[in-house]
Amino acid sequence: MTRLRAAWRVASIPVYSILLALLVAAVVIIVSSTFTATGFDPLLPLAAYLRLLIGAFGSPSGISNTLVAAAPLMFGGLAVGLGLKAGLFNIGVAGQFLVGAFASAVVGASLAGAPMLVGMPLAVLAGALAGAAYGFIPGFLKARTGAHEVVTTIMLNNAATLLLTWAVNDLVRAPGFTFPRTAAVGESALPVLIGRNLHLGVVLAVVAIFVVRWVLDRTTLGFEIRTVGLNPEAARYAGMRPVFITALTMTLSGLLAGLAGSIQMLGVIGFYAPGITASVGFDSIAVALLGRSDPIGILFAALLFGAFRAGAPLMQIETSVPIEVIDIIQALVILFLAADLIVRRLFRVRAAKPEIAELQTVTKTWGGTTPSTTPGGGD
Amino acid sequence: MKRLNPLALISILAILSTSCGTLGIGGGLKIGMVTDIGQLEDKSFNEFSWKGVQDGAKAVGGTAQVIVTKDIADYKQNIQQFVDQKYDVIVTVGFLIGTDTLAAAQANPGIQFFGIDQFICVPADANDKECKGKVPDNYQGLVFNEAQAGYLAGIVAGTITKSGKIGAVGGRSDVPPVVNYIKGYENGAKSVKSNVQVLVNYTEDFNAPDKGEASAKTMISQGADVVFQVAGLTGAGVLRAACNAKVWGIGVDVDQYLSLPDLQSCIVTSAEKRLQNAAGEAIKRFKDKGKQSGNYTNDATNAGIGASPIRNLSPVPAGLEDKIKQATEDMKSGKLKPV
Repeated sequence: MTRLRAAWRVASIPVYSILLALLVAAVVIIVSSTFTATGFDPLLPLAAYLRLLIGAFGSPSGISNTLVAAAPLMFGGLAVGLGLKAGLFNIGVAGQFLVGAFASAVVGASLAGAPMLVGMPLAVLAGALAGAAYGFIPGFLKARTGAHEVVTTIMLNNAATLLLTWAVNDLVRAPGFTFPRTAAVGESALPVLIGRNLHLGVVLAVVAIFVVRWVLDRTTLGFEIRTVGLNPEAARYAGMRPVFITALTMTLSGLLAGLAGSIQMLGVIGFYAPGITASVGFDSIAVALLGRSDPIGILFAALLFGAFRAGAPLMQIETSVPIEVIDIIQALVILFLAADLIVRRLFRVRAAKPEIAELQTVTKTWGGTTPSTTPGGGD
Repeated sequence: MKRLNPLALISILAILSTSCGTLGIGGGLKIGMVTDIGQLEDKSFNEFSWKGVQDGAKAVGGTAQVIVTKDIADYKQNIQQFVDQKYDVIVTVGFLIGTDTLAAAQANPGIQFFGIDQFICVPADANDKECKGKVPDNYQGLVFNEAQAGYLAGIVAGTITKSGKIGAVGGRSDVPPVVNYIKGYENGAKSVKSNVQVLVNYTEDFNAPDKGEASAKTMISQGADVVFQVAGLTGAGVLRAACNAKVWGIGVDVDQYLSLPDLQSCIVTSAEKRLQNAAGEAIKRFKDKGKQSGNYTNDATNAGIGASPIRNLSPVPAGLEDKIKQATEDMKSGKLKPV
């Protein structure tokens, strides 16, 4: 019981934030209903949320869709969360995701005819390594020159999109299509385990949650990451190498983001084309914040966001509430997490110690007021 | 008990809401549309396809619903949602969703699929590049006669040019629709001004506005005072260059005067695929004649292409609208071949 209470203490603000976001979004739905064909309908939010729930959990295929949508968010959330633990704000998940997806698509397509047990692992590995390499760049720049990872990763996102567009157009374009795209991944696709679409990537994502948790809680590396995140000066004093840890953490973060792209490519999409959007990249930041950078928290946050994605089609079909409502809810969740004073006042949650460390990292890194977190920056 | 218990509140309300009836159930055909990535009100492919689907539904006494796609990974799931809800017709928008539409059509032979702007190519085997495989009986791609639309745009360009030089910027020279648009454009312009000079450049890139802008600038510096873009995102740069140089731009695919509000001031017309008409007619065809398959070309004979309304010109040059009308009639009767 005490454990449950402790868990609730950690989870209460996120849970209340979600509820508050749903309430505010309900008002938006009601107000907007007056402008549509349905006309003013005060019960529309309930109808919409119910369809959202049924769509996401009301059938085996719904549950499967939820898990499939959540899996890349788990990897992406872990990527952001791991960075935040080390005091780094990786906004580059979108770019690392695309690079990982592209590498998996190309390797997968070139091994499309090879046995699954050869092609699939190599394609996944390619995605992971490509993501890691793309995460290493801002990590290295930060460690060596103090270049701020927020700035470099944002720029690298654009660089990835444009570079990959060029690559698909001019290097790996598949013949037989009227638009530029890579060939199908064929046998390299992640095998479907249950039903229509529950693929192996979902299992990998859940495994990753526990691996990252174990690394953070039980290994020296995890201890060093957390120490560097809390106080790089103290870490240096204790004989750790913050510069090295910074570069390594960004690389690992990129690896996880690359895996997000890889499983999405090999489990769902099946080919790379320039129109591919990386909504996962930015949703991952929200997932990490909602999950408070804790792997278990990220697991639940990813499931919630996956459920939104999986439930949205049914909501649109049966209530004509537009899918943009989902974006509004997700944005409001983050808003209320950041402005947690509103939540505390409303729900009378006792003010605790500065609990949401990851949000502080975000504000700190944005403000750039902590030179101590840029090891090597002053040299 | 001052404290609000939101969990209990929400669950009570949720139970209550189950009692409010189901929406959107009517008689007749159930028609679902899955959009291309983006938003529904995009003044482009999604919006006009949706209008067409609604027209079609009304005409056949059916109901229409739409799912908006936000991420390429959602295509399969969005199509499947309509399959699970036992829809009779599923319309998908844009070439990117073509692969998933083909797979869904193969898996669900009882449902009619229409793919807007999808040229269906089923390879017989891995080495077949000529689409010799069998298109499912229940899947029809709605394609457009780009040369005819380009011809009409060319008539406009040939009429309004003062310098006697006009330009066209293409996305890729190996994409047949792009080349057809531009060939039609050349011939259309020459039909009204036989000595008109047409500058053509292919940027070999659909996603580079800067290349489009540079290419159009070169043409304008060579004297072109009308530029036609057939280059996707690259084309936005073409139109911007036209705006900056105060010459005319011609849009493509949809009425870009509406879809690109920032560039309205210099768009005179667009070579248009009549998406609304094509989608509506497809649904009526299915109702009247049953299963539809293969690639269906929308052209002048079925009002599937056209020139968007002439904008920004006052007065509209004498006879221009008549010439467009006449050319459309002649293409309809087969008397006029655009290429």
